[in-house]
Amino acid sequence: MSAAAPTRDLTPRRPAPDAAEATPRRRAIGRPSPWVYVLAAIVVFFTLLPVLVGVIGGFRTNAQLAENPAGWPDPWVFDNYLNVLQGSQFWRYTLNSVAIATMSTVLVVVCGIMAAYPLARYQFRGREGLFTIFVMGLLFPATVAVIPLFIITTRELHLGNTWAGIALPQAAFALPLTVVILRPFLQAIPKELEEAAMLDGTGRIGFFWRILLPLSRPGMVTVGVLAFVGSWNAYLLPLLLLQGDMRTLPLGVADFSSEHASDTAGVFAFTTLSMIPALIFFLTAQKQIVGGLQGAVKG
Amino acid sequence: MATVTYDNATRIYPGSTRPSVDQLNLEIADGEFLVLVGPSGCGKSTSLRMLAGLEDVNSGRILIGDRDVTDVQPKDRDIAMVFQNYALYPHMSVADNMGFALKIAGKSKSEIRERVEEAAKILDLTQYLDRKPKALSGGQRQRVAMGRAIVRQPQVFLMDEPLSNLDAKLRVQTRTQIASLQRRLGVTTVYVTHDQTEALTMGDRIAVLKDGLLQQVGTPREMYDTPQNVFVAGFIGSPAMNIGEFNIQDGHAQLGRAIIPLSRETLAAVTDADNGKIQVGFRPESLDLSSEGSGGAFPVEVNLVEELGSDAFVYGQLAAGTEGAAHISSGAGESQIIVRVDPRQVPEKGSHVWVSIRAGEQHNFSASTGERLPN
Repeated sequence: MSAAAPTRDLTPRRPAPDAAEATPRRRAIGRPSPWVYVLAAIVVFFTLLPVLVGVIGGFRTNAQLAENPAGWPDPWVFDNYLNVLQGSQFWRYTLNSVAIATMSTVLVVVCGIMAAYPLARYQFRGREGLFTIFVMGLLFPATVAVIPLFIITTRELHLGNTWAGIALPQAAFALPLTVVILRPFLQAIPKELEEAAMLDGTGRIGFFWRILLPLSRPGMVTVGVLAFVGSWNAYLLPLLLLQGDMRTLPLGVADFSSEHASDTAGVFAFTTLSMIPALIFFLTAQKQIVGGLQGAVKG
Repeated sequence: MATVTYDNATRIYPGSTRPSVDQLNLEIADGEFLVLVGPSGCGKSTSLRMLAGLEDVNSGRILIGDRDVTDVQPKDRDIAMVFQNYALYPHMSVADNMGFALKIAGKSKSEIRERVEEAAKILDLTQYLDRKPKALSGGQRQRVAMGRAIVRQPQVFLMDEPLSNLDAKLRVQTRTQIASLQRRLGVTTVYVTHDQTEALTMGDRIAVLKDGLLQQVGTPREMYDTPQNVFVAGFIGSPAMNIGEFNIQDGHAQLGRAIIPLSRETLAAVTDADNGKIQVGFRPESLDLSSEGSGGAFPVEVNLVEELGSDAFVYGQLAAGTEGAAHISSGAGESQIIVRVDPRQVPEKGSHVWVSIRAGEQHNFSASTGERLPN
């Protein structure tokens, strides 16, 4: 590999350069060790390999696939992708997925930050206990609650087979992680900033809107993306609640692959295309996510 | 413009039995620059925050002008505060930072712009108005924080150690800038610092606090010349005053070979509780080099000479053979004496010099209460 070349001359002379001034926020200013690249390359390779097989497989015919499962397209075939894109099903599923993911993301971000704000910055009795309840939500897989949820959403709320019926429970299950991520983020915003805002004439709500929200944007983007991707990939709950035209992409993929079990290339194409919207969303927000996970603003 | 009055203002933090600020009584005149100074934990910041409305007042009152603001929201007190870390809003430009309070108050865009530009001109920030705080140096941020206060045209400025995040040189520069700006604007200012030099150089008056109790209020001159107790004496002045506990013998204060005459008034003020002892303080510059045997002279063994160009300070201790060298202390630590000497004629390290206290520049304090005794 190309990464092997710099390895040999640089490995010996690396006397732990950043150990002395290891401030957690600052990444090493100098060149990172080539091993970092090697390791990253290995991880990336194994992560991307199955995805690439799928993407490239979509450009091959079933005959090509049967002959050599991991080969290169020869010739390149675009029919699989065109078929999927020209069918109405794919677009219908995409619309459902986008709508549900958007609803649940908005819900998660709005409710999450509203829940995290008092938990982070108000002093009140039982605050830690309340926070613990949110943390405990992390231990709860949605799978466990799926049957009661099905009953509640369809029977009580009459939201069976609707976008809201999926978005609401999904937002609820994404909330614990959101609060856990956002709370330290909001806590790290200096107290003086709040006091300055109070002296400048904002109340607690004004501080929330004018100072806290703009400052916590990286954090909100992070939890938003997590919620969006989580909702995008959700399978079990939509499987139980949605039928027919209301189904989301993952259900569509599953359906497609069982319907056209022999059309492996078609399944590859469908799967590949279903990843794209979430991928775009993720890539556009990527910078903010890194910022969000790094921590909050300093004063 | 307004006066500020602390009327028995007390703050007890929840879960604490000892008040952080204990019955503070203080009157600050209109347009005055008052400095609250004291060691850390003395309650100076708490006092300021009580005035700002950021801390509750558990008992007593605080007045701005004639208005009782004890239970008034911070935003309605017509004050502006400069924080130690400036507390600038990171996501707003300098202009937005400075105009934020006006925006909240619902002032028109043109008025905000006008007032911000005016303040920026005063503070030499005009070219930075569109920058974010992140892109400013420490000194510039400090000025923005000042600007944010000025723009509001408040009745009172509150400053909580606004210079402590600056480097030493810039601090000295900014110190004079703030002081002259305050004189120019004539706005009543309460300024908190732990640095007594800042207090002496900036304040019209200084209030020294310790353990939540007000020790003394006065002009820098008064604080320096007539400290009311041992604490103020040791706190104000740099290098600090030499203070020693002496025995009273035959109408003199005596410690080893040091014999210092005491006046009749001083002796009369000594009580039985003092147990025949008295605390005598003398500043490094109140000591004159003299010769052995002259009245009131005592020997000092030179440990170290610090030459500052304009001054030279001898750090030493009461010379060997003097019992009780440990009973005297100064800014340099236990059993140390600091003497200012002519920088052109400094004594050798390890030598002995004889010094005597210049008449009238000696401070006497009760050994039991630490209160000042008449000279």
